[in-house]
Amino acid sequence: MLNRIIEQIKALGCTVWELREETVKSWEFYFIRHALDQNRVTEVRTFPVTLYRPLEDGQLGSASGVLSPTDTEEQMRKTLSDIYFQASLVKNPAYRLNDRPVVSPPLREVDAAAIARDFITAMQSVRESADADVNSYEIFVREITRRYVNSNGVEYTVRFPSSEIEVVVNARDAAHEIEVYRDFCSGTCDADKLRRDVEKALRYGRDRLLAEPTPKLSSIDVLFSTDDALSFYHWYFAYKTETEMIHCKLSDWTVGKAIAGNMSGDKLTLKAVAALKNSSRDYPIDKEGAAIRDRVLIRDGVVEALWGPRQFSQYLGLEDSFQAENFVVEGGARTEAELRQGDYLEVVEFSAFDVDPVSGDLAGEIRLGYLHRDGKVKIVTGGSVSGQMADAIPTMAFSAETEQYDSFVIPRVTRLQKLKITGVA
Amino acid sequence: MKASFSPYLNALAPDMRELVERLGAHFDYVSVLCTDSVGFRLSVSRSAKSVSGTNMTTERGNVVRVCRDGQYSEFAFNELPGSVEALAEEIRSQLGRQLEVLKQSGVRAYETGVLPDEPLELFVEKETGRLPEREDMKTLVERFTALSDRGMELVPRALDCEITASSTHISKMFLSKNRFLRQSYVYTEGVCAAYGPNDEGEIRYPYKGVSGCGGPEILDGLDAALESLPKTMEELISAGKIEPGEYEIITDPEISGLIAHEAFGHGVEMDMFVKNRALGADYLGKRVGSELCTMHEGALCDESVTAYVFDDEGVLAGDVIEIDRGILKTGICDALSALRLGVEPTGNGKRENFAHKAYTRMTNTIFDSGPHSLEEMIASVQYGYLLCGEQSGMEDPKHWGIQCIVDRGYEIKDGVLTGKVVSPVVMTGYVPDLLGNISMASTDREVMGNGGCGKGHKEWVKVADGGPYLKTKARLG
Repeated sequence: MLNRIIEQIKALGCTVWELREETVKSWEFYFIRHALDQNRVTEVRTFPVTLYRPLEDGQLGSASGVLSPTDTEEQMRKTLSDIYFQASLVKNPAYRLNDRPVVSPPLREVDAAAIARDFITAMQSVRESADADVNSYEIFVREITRRYVNSNGVEYTVRFPSSEIEVVVNARDAAHEIEVYRDFCSGTCDADKLRRDVEKALRYGRDRLLAEPTPKLSSIDVLFSTDDALSFYHWYFAYKTETEMIHCKLSDWTVGKAIAGNMSGDKLTLKAVAALKNSSRDYPIDKEGAAIRDRVLIRDGVVEALWGPRQFSQYLGLEDSFQAENFVVEGGARTEAELRQGDYLEVVEFSAFDVDPVSGDLAGEIRLGYLHRDGKVKIVTGGSVSGQMADAIPTMAFSAETEQYDSFVIPRVTRLQKLKITGVA
Repeated sequence: MKASFSPYLNALAPDMRELVERLGAHFDYVSVLCTDSVGFRLSVSRSAKSVSGTNMTTERGNVVRVCRDGQYSEFAFNELPGSVEALAEEIRSQLGRQLEVLKQSGVRAYETGVLPDEPLELFVEKETGRLPEREDMKTLVERFTALSDRGMELVPRALDCEITASSTHISKMFLSKNRFLRQSYVYTEGVCAAYGPNDEGEIRYPYKGVSGCGGPEILDGLDAALESLPKTMEELISAGKIEPGEYEIITDPEISGLIAHEAFGHGVEMDMFVKNRALGADYLGKRVGSELCTMHEGALCDESVTAYVFDDEGVLAGDVIEIDRGILKTGICDALSALRLGVEPTGNGKRENFAHKAYTRMTNTIFDSGPHSLEEMIASVQYGYLLCGEQSGMEDPKHWGIQCIVDRGYEIKDGVLTGKVVSPVVMTGYVPDLLGNISMASTDREVMGNGGCGKGHKEWVKVADGGPYLKTKARLG
């Protein structure tokens, strides 16, 4: 079908285009406790296409759409014709599609049955007890095959596994039952890590049964030791160096400029990496046909390079950019144990910890925290944490030890100083 | 004009009938949902413009649901092999392979009865002003460009002004042995947003949306929406930080809707009852709010972005009173969960798209209006805030906590708005306290349907929510 689409694109007189064939095969299993709620198979193939039109004054028009494998020749012609017309309406400064040849990696075999079996077996082996057990879980094992072709002759095919498991656990005493929610993404199943993470969630559930209302604190250092830290490492730091954010003036970070003034804490080093083992996005070529490479984006707190879509990268004068999928944050100068000194609040469960990548505002309701004060530890719940990334960056500290969460490797613990706490006691 | 039903689905119907029949020889229950929804997404700003024939709800594909010996399975696909016979064999083979893995792993089924399949035929084409697939995109792009330019002129410190819109013409067909349902309708939503720095260089972005069941004519409302941005931007630029504490609050219809959605919307999704994941199951028939707290839920409640006629499991849409004058009456339920709980389904079985599982999901979640005017409500506040504009929210059905991140808080002292604004505001609390403290509700109400709602961290669907201005108490930070 790909060749038929290309023929029709050319018949329109369109000379600049890019086309993908995306095939997603998914095996899914839904459990209530450990009993099967439903099993599902999905097989979906789509053809996302973007057509471009060079326009007057050096402008470039573009429009996109998706073709379905059930489209008739006539429907395909109509859809492409509409897209090509719409491309004349939406005018942006011109840019060029990728023209550097890329080499397709060997196609990976994805054994959905084996991966699914690993997930099921891992969940069955989680150590549960009368007061803490698994409530439900949903397993998604996907084999994704992507073929890309553009009018400059760049083409490649990649196939990769992409898995997800949503796990809900409960802990209870005579008066209450607690729920802890987790959603893990990975390439395939890392059974040991999954078991460890679920058992940690069970422990958090038990602890929350003992929690007291968070006291009024005004402000205190907050320690992040879970994937909530991705809210700033991914959605703030990584996106502040993304070319679309910068071009659209949603980020004012520029190459050579420090990400904050007067940095007295650890200085951030963030890298895009071409490959990351067991990431759900472990493929070496981006969706626009650019090879993904190892690249330092922020070194010692200073922006060193940018990443992002080809259109916006070229607007910023970057010819060899790419859309990064996997990132590594280097560890800091001190160990986790050293960062766990003094008074601090370690929050391990938020309702949702949000960092606004545009404004830098951060906030989240505390579901479970450990308040370390005067050498004592109190388990707390309720209230909220809030602050501003611009205020937090100069003194932030992160551990030398790191931990992988799907497509990100980040310091195992991160300490942000003097965030505002709304207590409830 | 009518939102005409998809000719593609009409042509597909005989094959799908045959598929149901063929699979029916091997399973206790068979149904198929087929979708063919077309639309567009347009975004215009000074920095970039884009147009696409796809958005959150455009799709074409099918999902078959089967049940044998109490075990439910689904197969989603968007390609048709040479014959229906071959397709039926493929479905049986693929699902059989899965069941083999389950058998090897010693997994037992959560046994469920056979879904009812009462005979019903339905064909509904809803009214719309215009159709997205026939929209004059040239004129729309020009209008959006002019709106963006006007926003740049009007909004102080604007670095950019983005106008975005989506419109989808939805066609869905549900077939089972005894049911043949077809519906088509159009929904549209649009947002204008401006971006600019405050004195500290932090970017602030006022926005305003329009939405509803109807065609791109709904986007005419963006002109008025844009006019609200300059004042909001001025307020955000000068906004201070709130002193954490408990306050009297008045929520605008947007925040009232957010509370409805997060507090009791997710809390009474009854697939959560099956898993014992919602505290609401223990409170049916009990007081969870004040006398002024009445809440409706259902696709029939409002002509919004989710005003369908039947849901993704072939159940007719409903209008459920979840909370009646403070008493929790019932929840909302998808078909399978209803069967497991021994209750009637409410027409709330929704899928992100044909390739996703159906869950109990919200449609329109709305507080009823009350007897008070906004002026009376403000005059009654000794010290508190009028909360306006939603940033985000998160549910906690098991513990009835609530987190709402609110764009702006307008200080009220001694019954008067002081002109002082704080932003952002994190509103947290215990749901029965929040609803139990509702002491006033305004006579008017508004329903909004921009954006999407996830279940956990995934499964994004269109929902709408709203209500009147409500006065209550909450913890702000």
